[in-house]
Amino acid sequence: MALLEIRNVNAGYGKGPDILRGLSLEIEAGQSYCIIGPNGAGKSTLLKVISGLLPPRSGEVVFKDVPFNGARPDQVLAAGICFVPQDQAVFPEMSVRENLTIGAYLERDRKVIKERMERVFELFPILAERASQDGGTMSGGQQQMLALGRALMIDPAVMMLDEPSLGLAPQIADQIFATIRELEALGITIVMVEQNAVRGLELADWGVVLDLGIVRFEGPADTILDDPRIRELYLGKAVGSEGTT
Amino acid sequence: MTEIIQVVIFGLLLGGVYALFASGLTLAFGVMRIVNLAHAVFIVAAAYAAFFAFEELGIDPIVSILFLIPLFFFLGVGVYLTFFVRIEGSPRYVEMTVLLTFGIAIMLEGLLGWRFTGIFRQAKPSYLTDAFFLGDYLIPTGQFYAATLSLVLLGALWLFLRFTRTGYGIRATMQNRAAAQLVGVNVRRVSAISFGISAAFAGASGAFMSYLFPFFPFRHWQWIALLLALVVLGGMGSLKGAVVGALILGVASSLVVDQIGPGWGPMAFYAALFGILLVRPQGLFGKELAV
Repeated sequence: MALLEIRNVNAGYGKGPDILRGLSLEIEAGQSYCIIGPNGAGKSTLLKVISGLLPPRSGEVVFKDVPFNGARPDQVLAAGICFVPQDQAVFPEMSVRENLTIGAYLERDRKVIKERMERVFELFPILAERASQDGGTMSGGQQQMLALGRALMIDPAVMMLDEPSLGLAPQIADQIFATIRELEALGITIVMVEQNAVRGLELADWGVVLDLGIVRFEGPADTILDDPRIRELYLGKAVGSEGTT
Repeated sequence: MTEIIQVVIFGLLLGGVYALFASGLTLAFGVMRIVNLAHAVFIVAAAYAAFFAFEELGIDPIVSILFLIPLFFFLGVGVYLTFFVRIEGSPRYVEMTVLLTFGIAIMLEGLLGWRFTGIFRQAKPSYLTDAFFLGDYLIPTGQFYAATLSLVLLGALWLFLRFTRTGYGIRATMQNRAAAQLVGVNVRRVSAISFGISAAFAGASGAFMSYLFPFFPFRHWQWIALLLALVVLGGMGSLKGAVVGALILGVASSLVVDQIGPGWGPMAFYAALFGILLVRPQGLFGKELAV
């Protein structure tokens, strides 16, 4: 039984056309997934649907055998799925400590909040150093770490990351990828969209290729990396390019 | 010099009250992106409540704050859930709120005019004409109460936003709505509460208006222009900005009234606004628009 199932989902924005067209995908517990695909394939849209930000037009999202139809983002989060969006993920006028505190908004036990914050500070020593600095005044990489740290505050079962390395200098991106590896080691199921497809696939257990709103291929990440057709179609351009979804 | 300080004191007393009047408006915009053109008519409605409580029941306007705050809080929540939830997902949400609140303002103004006629009202508690000396400076008692209590209420709001869980949720929604949803803030609930608080502040403001500023139903248009100016000056949605802006403009207009003449007060107010916005188009504490 899959931890998270996306069944035949159609979704789009406003009165626009469907971006996801009957997409189905199964996410197994404890695995890490990298979703790749060309611009407009629906990668970010998929994450938005799962997180509850964008209600699907049809189909369903099922988590631990419970369908989530029309669940609000806070309900999805309470179930254990958190989402770190592409950009502007932090609260700019709150300190690092406040940003982390609000990450545990759904947790009312102050002792638990404190323990989790200490764990986050262990994982990200830079956040401990800058605990009283405003989120908005930190560098892009530090803000991304803060966003990851804040997501950890809810102690999620599934963490969805939308382009975690977007706009970051290569060394900083390396740090973020190293951190994601640590999150995997903590047993968190990772679902990541990454514009740097090769790096993302190297990190992940399972690769998913999206195109035109459906899953075109999926398989073990190393198989996808080695597949000459996929390399040519989907990875050739992605290497070193700055494309976003 | 003494005279200047005296005038500055008058300006600060006035500005403190303006700050309270504008705070609810800026909160509604900051959290919910609602440009509430009905905010001033809420204040006028509360002023009527305070006025009649004083005239008919002998309840002091300041004491009436105790019932106006909860009453207007629930009215605000009710208005939010009745009207604003319907247009929540609209891509033209901000523009729709302008039209919607414009309609509410006209409707409420009509109701007030129908029930209470268009004549000027002013509650006249005993301290209205009292004053006391602080050192060399004259302090009008009624204004002193109003300004002090306004700052107390604003302080309470600040503590609430800073240290309570709901306050965290409200601030998070103000700063980054999408991210607030993603950390589990129920944005609709937080918005309804914020609109309630905004209306509650209009309720408290009305108590002060009832004896400080003579009012009649149509008066609210004049007030909303002034309050919107304060909100824009502070930086749309910034509470700190609205308070600082209100104090600055209160002092500026008092100084001009003293030095040049009473007719120049309102002009000074808008001229100062104009000048500040030329230098800081985003307002005192607003963020520059991303290009």
